[in-house]
Amino acid sequence: MLNFNTPIIDTKEYSEIKISEIEPILKINLRGKNRDFITKIGKELSIIAPVDPNTSSSNEKLNLLWLSPDEWFLYSNDKIDIKDANFLEDKLFSEISKVKLGSVTNVSDHWIMINLKGTKTFELLSAGCPFNFNNFKNTKGAVTQTIINHIDVIIHNKNVNNLNLFVRRSFSAHLWSWMNDSARFV
Amino acid sequence: MFLINCPYCGERDQSEFSAGGEAHIVRPKQPTELSDNQWAEFLFMRKNIKGVQFERWNHAHGCRKWFNMARDTSNDKIHAVYKMGEKPPIK
Amino acid sequence: MSKNLRTTNNKFIDQTSRISFKFDGNTLYGFKGDTLASALLANNIHLVGRSFKYHRPRGIMACGSEEPNAIVQVGNDPSMTEPNTRATEIELYEGLEASSQNCWPSVNFDVGAVNNFFSPLIPAAFYYKTFMWPANFWKLYEYFIRKSAGLGKSPTEPDKDIYDHRYLHCDVLIVGGGISGIIAAKTAAKNNLNTVLIDDKNILGGTTLFQENECFKINNSYSNKWLKNEIESLKSLKNLTIKTRTSLAAYHSYNYLLARENLNEHLDINEKRDKIRQRLWKIRAKKVIISTGAMERPLIFNNNDRPGIMLSSSIKKYIDYYGVKCGQKISLFTNNDTAYETAISLNNSGVTVNSVIDIRDKTNSLIVNQAEELGIKVHWKSSVVNTNGYKKIKSIEVMKLSDDGTAVVGKKIKEECDCLGISGGWTPRVHLFTQSGGKLKFRNEDNVFIPDQSDLDQISIGSCNGDFELDEVIKNSVNLTNKFLKVNNNDYENLEIISSKEIDKKNIWLLPSDKPLRKTKQFLDFQNDSTANDVKLALREGFKSIEHVKRYTTTGMATDQGKLSNMHALGIIAETAGVKMGELGTTTFRPPYTPLTFGAIVGRNVGEFFDITRKTPMHDWHVENKAEFENVGQWKRAWYYPVNNENMYEAVQRESKAARDSAGILDASTLGKIDIQGTDASEFLNRVYTNAWSKLEIGKCRYGLMLNEDGMVYDDGVTTRLSENHYLMTTTTGGAANVLSKLEDYLQTEWPELDVYLTSVTDHYGTISICGPNSKKILSKVIPDLDLSDKEFPHMSFKNALIDNIKCRVMRISFTGEHSYEINIQSSYAKSAWEKCFEAGKEFNITPYGTETMHLLRAEKGFIIAGQDTDGTMTPIDLQMDWIISKKKYDFIGKRSLYRSDTIRDDRKQLVGLLTDDPKEILEEGAQIVAETNKHPIEMLGHVTSSYFSPNLNKSIALAVVKNGKKLKGQKLYVPMKNKTINVTITETVFLDKENKRLNA
Repeated sequence: MLNFNTPIIDTKEYSEIKISEIEPILKINLRGKNRDFITKIGKELSIIAPVDPNTSSSNEKLNLLWLSPDEWFLYSNDKIDIKDANFLEDKLFSEISKVKLGSVTNVSDHWIMINLKGTKTFELLSAGCPFNFNNFKNTKGAVTQTIINHIDVIIHNKNVNNLNLFVRRSFSAHLWSWMNDSARFV
Repeated sequence: MFLINCPYCGERDQSEFSAGGEAHIVRPKQPTELSDNQWAEFLFMRKNIKGVQFERWNHAHGCRKWFNMARDTSNDKIHAVYKMGEKPPIK
Repeated sequence: MSKNLRTTNNKFIDQTSRISFKFDGNTLYGFKGDTLASALLANNIHLVGRSFKYHRPRGIMACGSEEPNAIVQVGNDPSMTEPNTRATEIELYEGLEASSQNCWPSVNFDVGAVNNFFSPLIPAAFYYKTFMWPANFWKLYEYFIRKSAGLGKSPTEPDKDIYDHRYLHCDVLIVGGGISGIIAAKTAAKNNLNTVLIDDKNILGGTTLFQENECFKINNSYSNKWLKNEIESLKSLKNLTIKTRTSLAAYHSYNYLLARENLNEHLDINEKRDKIRQRLWKIRAKKVIISTGAMERPLIFNNNDRPGIMLSSSIKKYIDYYGVKCGQKISLFTNNDTAYETAISLNNSGVTVNSVIDIRDKTNSLIVNQAEELGIKVHWKSSVVNTNGYKKIKSIEVMKLSDDGTAVVGKKIKEECDCLGISGGWTPRVHLFTQSGGKLKFRNEDNVFIPDQSDLDQISIGSCNGDFELDEVIKNSVNLTNKFLKVNNNDYENLEIISSKEIDKKNIWLLPSDKPLRKTKQFLDFQNDSTANDVKLALREGFKSIEHVKRYTTTGMATDQGKLSNMHALGIIAETAGVKMGELGTTTFRPPYTPLTFGAIVGRNVGEFFDITRKTPMHDWHVENKAEFENVGQWKRAWYYPVNNENMYEAVQRESKAARDSAGILDASTLGKIDIQGTDASEFLNRVYTNAWSKLEIGKCRYGLMLNEDGMVYDDGVTTRLSENHYLMTTTTGGAANVLSKLEDYLQTEWPELDVYLTSVTDHYGTISICGPNSKKILSKVIPDLDLSDKEFPHMSFKNALIDNIKCRVMRISFTGEHSYEINIQSSYAKSAWEKCFEAGKEFNITPYGTETMHLLRAEKGFIIAGQDTDGTMTPIDLQMDWIISKKKYDFIGKRSLYRSDTIRDDRKQLVGLLTDDPKEILEEGAQIVAETNKHPIEMLGHVTSSYFSPNLNKSIALAVVKNGKKLKGQKLYVPMKNKTINVTITETVFLDKENKRLNA
């Protein structure tokens, strides 16, 4: 068997902030423009694709994040076996891409998920992120794509002071290191 | 550092965006039928005005959508942002 | 001596905690709450530096950021020493070491001071004028100028301090915590606005904090008592964040502001360690209220720069706030009422006030009357015409002013003093307002520039807005803030305010003297040593614009940006040129307001965080196998893998040979990968690549060249058709992000009708490239189920496969000319799959190779690297790649440009091969190529783009771009180097296996 490797495999705790890499998580990029695409997603995933900018919808298994008017980001709540991930990817691909409704792309390993928890979470982000979190902070389910220390990220507000942050795999070790360095000073 | 109101995502810091030059220059549908001069007009000639200029911007580190902006180059004031394909809301 | 300079009755200095510090090597003592300046003055030290040009002795002049003279070097650690800091802004801490600058060997005996005696020979722009010619003497001049110029010493070792950045978003930012700022902060926060109040001092309150005078009362309390209660009441406000020791550095458009917070500067030297020194706040405020106050102006008269000559309001702060007497017998020289406040404060603290010299005829304001009632002598309608004392003022000379104020008349009176307070009125601190693009207007009655129009959501309140009287400051601050924030705070209605009103105003920019102007020294810019005489000279020499005069005389160009000098320079120019000051305009204040440390600008982007690094999934394997790494964009790529102390050349020779002789393995994960889906995917590829794509069969791969609209090669890569409407495009490593962005641009703007979706999958896949004659055998061990026959799996095709149940895509494509495969597998399994391939290849001596060998192998085959052999000026035709341009396609990006008059020229630079006559001679990349070596200037025909020693051909090979190169095949040319000229011959670009036999070997 091939071994599974992630760039970080770690959890760090500081006063009032905890940072952990959580993998493997299923992640699929969905793109489409018409109403049928949205309907199909709802049917296949039992989840309504959010059409309002910077929002998301979730059920007990999955989260669907708005990325742009024709792009969504699907990720699983829990760690997932690669077989289940492949199954869902194939199913969505045949129901959406094959029937010319849009695109379905597995990006599970394109992104690394990092969970940030604790009252100092937003203070940590403000060390390198120009985004205004004042409203985001209090909006459960809010989504933003922005940059932290010049690195692209997707941030999903899961709960009060509990964020899932997605960073491209090749950048993840650097961002991880930077976040830990920053956490010393918050 | 501007604060740009992305027509899709809302107000964001300029560092999330990249600028893409003058707006409303349409790529000719039949380039092969153009003379060198006509093609050069499309390819090279750009306005560089002091005052309100129409520009293309991309929310590169956000929704990745291109949009248009009317910006006064003399004081950097952004008068309007509008989606691709839309007409400028001001003159 | 120091004892009797300190009063006992002040509230801001903790006289129970003594602090020891060193200045110029001497151990001195001060108290907690002191600045370096107040502690020095308490030790009777005025002389702290030498001036820049004439090396004249200079003393502490002010008490804040406008200080021009007391510029010191702090610390003597080679990594932490900091030059050009203002003693007036350094909070005293245990262990502080500071020293004077711009003097040698010491501030008391300075060799450079001879310049002072020669000063008539060093007029404005002396250096510009003198060192102009002969031009080739500049090398000599430069040495001396550099030695005598410059203030302070730079640290010689890396800074050990920690700096940080932080973003902050708020509804209202208030800059300056004086009385106006406090009123505004309270108003904003009480109305549920998320408010931030910053002040550069360690406590709030501004100058009102120590204003305890009968002439300034609010509701029957001294104004300082009233303000203290107000400050106290701020503490209960939830929405208010107060940041002290935080100085606003820059005010940019869109209310984006940078502020520097000092976090450990005031701590004892032992407590500083491991703490952040400074934090740069990047503030985005919806609304900004500037309440930065005003600063006092000096007066311009002969020898107005001696140590002991200070701004009168600073003398007041030193006595009322720090409890420090700046002298024992103090004289004051003024054109306004401010000096009388100082006189009263000094008098109340038991300091002798010799007299007040006032240029006005007589005035009867509340404060002046109070001073006169206290018995303070006033010389009305008089001016100081000279001062005496070299290292410290000893006396002043006073004369009566003529009725029109242009001359002095009568008898000269000499007055002994050890300190002279000067006050030339007040200048609103409009620096931040102008930085933000705001326009100023000139107010004639008291000669001030005040804020006028701004495009931003901001206001100025208090004395930075031109209100100088207490009652006006409060009334206008309240009204302006309410209106600006659209709120109605009535906390400040019905206040009973007593405020002395200035009744008479008079101003003379350049005070007359009994001597001719050129025989006097009337300093305007104390730090850069420019005088009123210099400005007048500049005008005589024909300079008219204030911006030119400023640069010519360097007035206002020192580290204080002329905070004290600019108004007088303007005044003198206006007067001399006979124009109105309002019409003359002002020079532009630029950020930062006070100098920023490089540390604060850089923040934590040092060392590991200097630049972002990207790593491939197999990165750890490369590290374990001792790879040297190369930066490719942000990527860390394995460069070569030295064994047994090989150098790079040896390692690359070995790797290149092994890859062709048996098998090599390369980490190609950094290549950009774009997943393309949609019914118009084929049409889309037709439009973005130069070749045709519609007929590419499912399961096949094709190389594509992408141009810019100008016809120049932009990027290249192999794209695979995975299914009917599904492609996987690869791009160059460096081009990945730009290609995706460019393709999205076309889809969104030019061709929105196309049904195509792009998704980056660069990081999703790790890419393992195995090449060489044994690659097939190795792959068959790794994926035994896959039929690798040429018939089933030919060159330029792809298969879905499984490695231990993990899905992967295998492409049979080659960048080396060898039989080779690329395995794309989910990144989480890529390292493990790589190891498996490596294990399987061991029996074939599989050799890991890095980017350098990859470059060599492809050069042997004449394959280009976009960005190395191309530079944005090469068309496919220039690259001799005409075969890749589809003749049938109606259009693709860049097509029309390929037959513009310029692109069809024969004599463009074209890609060719180069062989050196001596096969051992390796050309340098970038070396120029010429046809003749004797003619001067030599015509450069082109340059070498890629050059290697090929171990497989046992000779040196190179690619180059050469003018008209296609037609020059066989031609002998020269590459002139520093020590020799290398003879070369133009060849084809393909050096090895022209028939492509190895692909199927």
